[in-house]
Amino acid sequence: MYKYVLRRALLAVPVLVLSSLIVFGLMRVMPGDALTALMAESGNIGEKELAKVRKDLRLDLPYHQQYLIWVWQMVSLSPGDSLFTGEPIVVSLKKAIPVTLELTLLAMVLGVALAVPIGVLSATRQDTASDYAGRMVAVSGLSLPDFWLGTLVITFAAIWFHWIPPIGYTSFWDSPGRNLQQFLLPAAVLGFRLAAATMRMTRSTVLEVLREDYVRTAWAKGLAGRIVVYKHALKNALIPVVTVIGGQLGVLLAGAVVVETIFALPGMGRLTVEAIAYRDYPVVQTNVMLVAGTLVTLNLLVDMTYAWLDPRIRYQ
Amino acid sequence: MNGDRSTASVTTVAAPALAIGEVSAAPVTHRPSFWAILRRKPLGAASGALIVLLVLTAVFADVLAPYDPLETHPEIRLAAPSRVHLFGTDDIGRDVLSRIIYGSRISLWVGLLAVGIGTVAGMVIGLACGYFEGRIDLALQRLMDAVQAIPGLILALAIVSVLTPNTTNAMIAIAIVIVPGNSRIVRGAVLSAKQNRYVEAAQALGCRHLAILGRHILPNVTAPILIIASIWLGNAILIEATLSFLGVGTQPPTPSWGLMLSSTGRAFMEQAPWLAIFPGLAISLAVLAFNLFGDTLRDAWDPKLRRNG
Repeated sequence: MYKYVLRRALLAVPVLVLSSLIVFGLMRVMPGDALTALMAESGNIGEKELAKVRKDLRLDLPYHQQYLIWVWQMVSLSPGDSLFTGEPIVVSLKKAIPVTLELTLLAMVLGVALAVPIGVLSATRQDTASDYAGRMVAVSGLSLPDFWLGTLVITFAAIWFHWIPPIGYTSFWDSPGRNLQQFLLPAAVLGFRLAAATMRMTRSTVLEVLREDYVRTAWAKGLAGRIVVYKHALKNALIPVVTVIGGQLGVLLAGAVVVETIFALPGMGRLTVEAIAYRDYPVVQTNVMLVAGTLVTLNLLVDMTYAWLDPRIRYQ
Repeated sequence: MNGDRSTASVTTVAAPALAIGEVSAAPVTHRPSFWAILRRKPLGAASGALIVLLVLTAVFADVLAPYDPLETHPEIRLAAPSRVHLFGTDDIGRDVLSRIIYGSRISLWVGLLAVGIGTVAGMVIGLACGYFEGRIDLALQRLMDAVQAIPGLILALAIVSVLTPNTTNAMIAIAIVIVPGNSRIVRGAVLSAKQNRYVEAAQALGCRHLAILGRHILPNVTAPILIIASIWLGNAILIEATLSFLGVGTQPPTPSWGLMLSSTGRAFMEQAPWLAIFPGLAISLAVLAFNLFGDTLRDAWDPKLRRNG
């Protein structure tokens, strides 16, 4: 097991290095550097001041030095300041990360709570009306754009119930009720997509497991249907489902970009979209790298959990 | 969304590779004909019909659209759906139905080209990785891992913002997002196709690499490529709509479904909900059609997933 963990962890290092190169490179091919765009917006600034700011931001250094400085900044958790607001990136991240974390966690809880029961129902009643209904829900979850769903939810909540989610972010610790009012709808919209993928996977793995010999044995010895499904089948069927949920984390984080924009939640997604709009590249590269790093780490953890649950994987 | 990359890869990565093994082992005549599959899969047939309808709408947009999609009539702004304007009008009096009909062009065009470019690039990388293995494989696959570590939509957003936001760049960004997943699937299929005796024989006879790849390996890889491409089409349309919605895709006044939703749909959603409902419905139907069609193709080609098979 240790050997497997070490090997997988070592494989993650080049991936992270390459991602950081991609992100860094991408930000450097921007036509006209960000600084010129920024300066153009803030009025007439002389060449001298421009050169000074460029030096302060170390934009005058060769690319490889800029890259190494940036990597060091990321590793030492001090990614510099925003070009646009001047606020240290760490400070904005400290405000944004809890919002996105709460949104994605809530979405995940709602999504899984919806997906697993429906997936099991779909599998145990294969080819019945409830199976078709469940599958239609799943396929529509993959097809409905979350920005549309979000817009519709807000519109119809306002038209039918004369209710709009409270504006401005309140932290959970200050007022749990108000916070949940702000987060439930966006989390439900975000969770729906996760639910769709998880539902499909649950259905197909439960179907597969239900055909295994040991499940037939369980039926044969006269166990109740509920016990066969929930105690014998579901336990084994859920292993690949866990991987799907792990794989969906990227989708959740990307979805957060859209959902946060629609519901005006000041999370990582909105921070990134705004930074992109202002070409605030220190913020963009830090955020994108942070997301990539989080995903690589989480996938590593999912793989390890999987290897721990299923010893065959370690020896492949 | 997304960029729904992981679903596509999780549910399909293994399947086509398996299909290759099984299909090549079984006599070709056992494969049911295209029409037989559609008859047995009503949902697949319906989605196929919807795709045909979509393509026809895009091709004949100028004949089908009752009005000019760019013509403004401020005097009838925000008019509710009526017999004259079936889907109503927007905030400057443009006909929503005509804009949706023209919008299908952007969606399909971006989807087809992005998937085309992404598929071909992914195929070339996948063929090289699977055929040559060794160092090329290791290096390219790590690069693909690195691209895939960044969520599709976020990567596309970053790419588009670097290259000025417009339809063409949105397409390039989507193509780049598609490459890694495709290359991995093709690589898997190539690795299993290489096990065939006739490939070994061709190598032993001293055929050139390019000839072996083109004549003996490529035909084995086309089925999974087509299946993945059809699934990706839905996602590409979704990503284009999302980028346009976020303001970094197609720019106004060009009619694009995602843009229609963000520019007028959200601003007037309480006053004129049809501005948000119809473009969203168009996106959903298009994506749904490609998702269902892709699912049907996959089921049909993969004996393991085929019912009673």
